Amino acid sequence: MTVVAESNERAEVALKPVQLPPGERANKLVAAKLLQRPYSGLFVLLLAMVISAIYGGFQSGFPTSWVPNVTTWFNSVANWITVHQNTAPFFVHFLTPIGNWLGNSVNAVTDVLNWLSWPGVIALFAGTAVLAGKWRVAIFVVIAMFYFGLIGLWSASMSTLALMSVAVLISVVLGVPLGIAAAASRVVEEAIRPILDLMQMLPAYAYLVPIVLLFGIGNSGGIIATVIYAIAPVIRLTMLGIHSVPYETVEAGKSFGSNKWQLLRKVQLPMALKPIVLGINQVIMMALSVVVIASLVGTGGLGDPILQALNIVDVGDALTAGVAIVFMAMILDRIVSAVAENVGRNVSTKGQKQLISPRNLRIAVGALVIVAIALGNVVGGGGSFPAGLSLSLSAPVNSFLSFLQSHLYHFSSIPVIGGTSNLSSFTTLEILNPLTRIIGDFPWWLAIFGTGVIGYLIAGWRRAVLVSIGVTAIGLLGMWTDASVTLSQVLVALVLCVAIGIPLGIAAYWWPPLEKVLRPILDVLQTMPAFVYLIPVVLFFSVGNMAGVTASFVYALAPAVRLTNLGLRQIKVDMIEAGNSFGATRFQMLRKVELPAARPTIVLAINQTIMLVLAEVIVAGLVGAGGLGYDVVVGLGRDEFGLGLSAGLAIVVLGIVFDRLTQGRPAGRRS
Amino acid sequence: MSISSRIPRLKRLVRWGGAIAAGTVLLSACGSSSSSSSSGSSTAAKPTITLVTNSWEGSLANNVVAQYVIEKDLHYPVKLLDLAEIPAWPATASGSVSAVLEVWGHYNHYQTYVVGNHEVINAGLEGPTGNIGWYIPTYLLKQHPELATWQGVKADWKLFVTPQTAPQGEFLDGAPSYVTNDAALINTLGLNMKVVYAGSEAAQLSQIETAYKAKKPIIFYWYTPQYFNHVYSFSQVALPPFTQACAKLPAAKIDCAYPPYYLYKIMNSKLPTTAPSVAKFIQAFNWTAADQNSVSYDMAVNKMSGSAAAAKFVNSHQSLVQSWLTGAPTPKKAPVLGT
Repeated sequence: MTVVAESNERAEVALKPVQLPPGERANKLVAAKLLQRPYSGLFVLLLAMVISAIYGGFQSGFPTSWVPNVTTWFNSVANWITVHQNTAPFFVHFLTPIGNWLGNSVNAVTDVLNWLSWPGVIALFAGTAVLAGKWRVAIFVVIAMFYFGLIGLWSASMSTLALMSVAVLISVVLGVPLGIAAAASRVVEEAIRPILDLMQMLPAYAYLVPIVLLFGIGNSGGIIATVIYAIAPVIRLTMLGIHSVPYETVEAGKSFGSNKWQLLRKVQLPMALKPIVLGINQVIMMALSVVVIASLVGTGGLGDPILQALNIVDVGDALTAGVAIVFMAMILDRIVSAVAENVGRNVSTKGQKQLISPRNLRIAVGALVIVAIALGNVVGGGGSFPAGLSLSLSAPVNSFLSFLQSHLYHFSSIPVIGGTSNLSSFTTLEILNPLTRIIGDFPWWLAIFGTGVIGYLIAGWRRAVLVSIGVTAIGLLGMWTDASVTLSQVLVALVLCVAIGIPLGIAAYWWPPLEKVLRPILDVLQTMPAFVYLIPVVLFFSVGNMAGVTASFVYALAPAVRLTNLGLRQIKVDMIEAGNSFGATRFQMLRKVELPAARPTIVLAINQTIMLVLAEVIVAGLVGAGGLGYDVVVGLGRDEFGLGLSAGLAIVVLGIVFDRLTQGRPAGRRS
Repeated sequence: MSISSRIPRLKRLVRWGGAIAAGTVLLSACGSSSSSSSSGSSTAAKPTITLVTNSWEGSLANNVVAQYVIEKDLHYPVKLLDLAEIPAWPATASGSVSAVLEVWGHYNHYQTYVVGNHEVINAGLEGPTGNIGWYIPTYLLKQHPELATWQGVKADWKLFVTPQTAPQGEFLDGAPSYVTNDAALINTLGLNMKVVYAGSEAAQLSQIETAYKAKKPIIFYWYTPQYFNHVYSFSQVALPPFTQACAKLPAAKIDCAYPPYYLYKIMNSKLPTTAPSVAKFIQAFNWTAADQNSVSYDMAVNKMSGSAAAAKFVNSHQSLVQSWLTGAPTPKKAPVLGT
C-alpha cells in the first residue's frame, strides 16, 4: 500500500500487520506460485518487445513525434485561470471565499497565540504534557520554546504553529471520515488510493502557482497547499486502523445487537485510535516539511528566515531557523503522542500512589497557565519575546563549515579518497554520467516491456500492465530524457542508503547504545528542511548530480536504518533461542535466522527509501542535479506551469512504478 | 479488555476537545476584534502597506528603506512579505500586495496586468539598470587577459572543464527564475561548453565562492546590482552587442548580449485612492545601484538589522529621502519583449 514517506517508527509498526506476509512461509509461497504461474503472460510481453523492436528499431529514447502537447495544454489551463481569476463566478464566489476563510482562521489562531503571550503559550504546552503524565516532555517543551524566543524567531514560530494547528485540524476533520468511508467500501478505497498517491508524491512546487491564483497568497494559499500535501496519512491510517480491529471483536459487538454506527463509534474508532494518532503525527511531519515552500507564496513563519539566509549564503542563519523547525516537529509529535497515550491508557494505574492527585494537578496547571498569561500580558509586554535576549548560531556555524571545507574538499585532504571534490568527480565521471547515458539510451520498447517483465515476475499480469503504462506515460509527458537523469541519481542514492543504512540498522540491533545515539540524529535528518543543507552539499560536492545524490541520501537514510533495526528487533525470541541452541555463531545467526526473518521489513525499508529519495528530487534540482527536479523548480520560477506539472507528474509516475516493483505481491485483504 | 474503560476517556477527550475548540474560537473572535480595534486607534484606520521581498538581497534593501520612510514620515504600518516573483503579480493585481519596488523584465505579466486589465500600475523606474551577462573572477582575467571577450572564452574552453560537463567546459547558470539565453549563446557562438543549471542562487554562489577561495577558473551567469560584487571582484566578459534585430530572434537562435533591464516598480491600481501619500512616495522612489548595494552590504555582511541599515542610510541621505516624499514620479519605461 503506502507510498507514504513514512518515517515514524511507530507508524511502521502499525503498518506491518496488513502489509507484510508472515516471514519465511510467505516467501516460500511466493516462490511456489512463481513456479506454478503460467508463462503465457511472459511470452506475450516478450513478443510485444520483439515486434516493437522490429517496428521501432534500436533508436535510443522515446520517439519525440509521439509526445503530445501536454505541456502546452497545461499552460493554457493556467492562462485561462490567470485571465478569469477575478471574474469567473466559481472562483469569485466559491474558491476565493474559502481561501479567505481559511486564511483568516490561521490569522485568528495566530492572534490567540499572541494574546496568550509567550509565557502563556509555554505554560499551556508544558502544562498539557504534565497533565498527560510526561514530565520529561514538559521540560523539553520549555527548553525548545525558549529557543524560539532566544533566536529572535518567536513570532515566526507562532505563525508556523498556527498554520500547523489549522492544517492538522482540517486534515483530521476531512481525513478521518474519508478513512472511515474507505474502510467501509472497497469502491471508495480503490477510488481514493491513486488520488492519495498523487497528492503525496506530486511536489508542492508544481501546483503552487494555480493555488495562489485561485485562493490567494499568504495563509490562504499556504494552508491549501499544506493540506493537499499532508492529509493522506490520516486517511490511510484511519482506514488501516479500522481494518486492523480483530474480526472477533467486531463480531462480538454485532452479537450484542450494535448497528453499524454504534459499532463504529463504540468499537472500531476507539480501537483504531492509535493508528489515527500516528496518522496525525505523520500529518504534522509532512506539513512541517512544506513550511519553507509555503514561504514562497507568502505564508511567512519559520520558512522566511531560511529563504533569507539562502539569499546571503548564510548557512548558520539557515540552521538556526532549521533547528527551530525540528524543535517544532518534536514538540507537536511528543505532545500529540502523550495526550493520545493518556487517553488510551488503562485505568489500572489508578491504584498507584501519586504525589499529587490528578484533580489537584489539573487545578495547579490551570492556575499556572492563567498566571503566565496574565504575567505575559501585563509584565512581558504582550505576545513578543523580549528582544534583548538574542542568540545566533550564525558565526560559529559558518566558521566551522568553512574550516571543514578547507580541510575536506581539496586533494589529499583525506588519505586514499583524496577529498570530497575528488570523490564527487569520481562518482560523477565513473558512475552517474555513464548510468545516465545507459538509461537514456534504452530504446523505448526495451524500457516499457522490460519493466513489464519485471512487474510480471514479481506480481503477475496486472502489475506488468500497470508498470508498462507508467513507463509509457513518462515518455508521453515528454520527460523521457530528464527522467533518465533523475532515475540514475535515484538509483545511486538508493544503493548508498542500502549500503550504509542496513549495516547501521544491524549494528544498532547488536549494540543497543548505538540505537540511542542514532535516534535523535535520524530524527533531525528527517525533519531538518533540506533547504538548510543545500549550501553545505554544494560546498563539499560542487554543483551537479553528486550534490543531488548526497542531499537525497542524507534525507532518505533514516528509514533504511530504522526499519532494518525494527525488523530485527521484532523477531520472535523462540526463533533466536532455537538458533542459539544449535550453537550458531553471531554471523550465522544473522545470515540464516535474523535477516531472513526480517526480510519483509527490510523490503519495506527499501520501498520507503525510494519514496523519500523521490521526494528529494526537487532539492536535487536546487543544487544543480538537473532532471525532473529542475524542471519543477523552473515551472514555478519562470511561470512555466505546464513544464512544472509535467515533470511533477513524471515524478509521481516514477514513484508509483518503483513502489509497485518493490512491494512484492499485493497484500491479501482481510475479509 | 479495555474497550469499555477507554470509552469514557474518549468521551471526555471529545468533550474537552470541544470545549477547547469552542474557547479558541471565542477567544479568536475577541482576539481579532480587539487587535483590529487597537491598531485602528493608533494609526487612524490606515491600511497596512505590503511590500514584496523577492529572493535577492537588493529587493530586501529597497524594502527596508521604504518601510522606514513610510512608517516614520507617512505613518502607515508596513509589512514586508517574502514572495516568489511569479505569485507577486497576481497578488499585486488582487491588492493583497501593495507594491513591488524592483521588477526585472516580466514582459508577459506586464501585458496581462498593466496593459491588459489595468489591475497593476507601472510606478516608474527604480533607478539602477540591471546588467545581466557572463562574468569571471577578476583574478582569472589577470591570468588570461583574452577572457575579456567571448572569443577568448571560445579559445580557452579547456580551462572550464569539470566532471559534470566533461569533455566540455562548464558554464554555470543560477536561479531558475531568471531568464537565461546562455545555452543558445553557447550554441550560436560555437563554444565547446555546456550549461550547468545550479538550480538556485544559493547553490551558484556557494560554487563561485569555492572556486574563488582556491583561485580556480570559473565562468558564470551573473548580474548587477548585487552586493556580492563588493565582496568579490568579478569582471564581465564582452558578448556580441545587443541589437533589436537579435532580440526578435527565436529564443534558441539568440546570438547577442542580454538587453539592459530598466528596473521598475509596480503597485496595485487602487493604492492611489487607499493610500495616496504612499502611492506618491512609491512613484517617486529611486536610487542608484551603489545606494542599494551599500544597504544590502550592511545587512548581509555587516549583519545589521533591516531597520538599523535603513536608519543609517536615511540619516546620511536626507535630501534624497526628501525628494521621494515631495518629488515628481520617476519616468516610466515598459519592459521589452524577451525580458
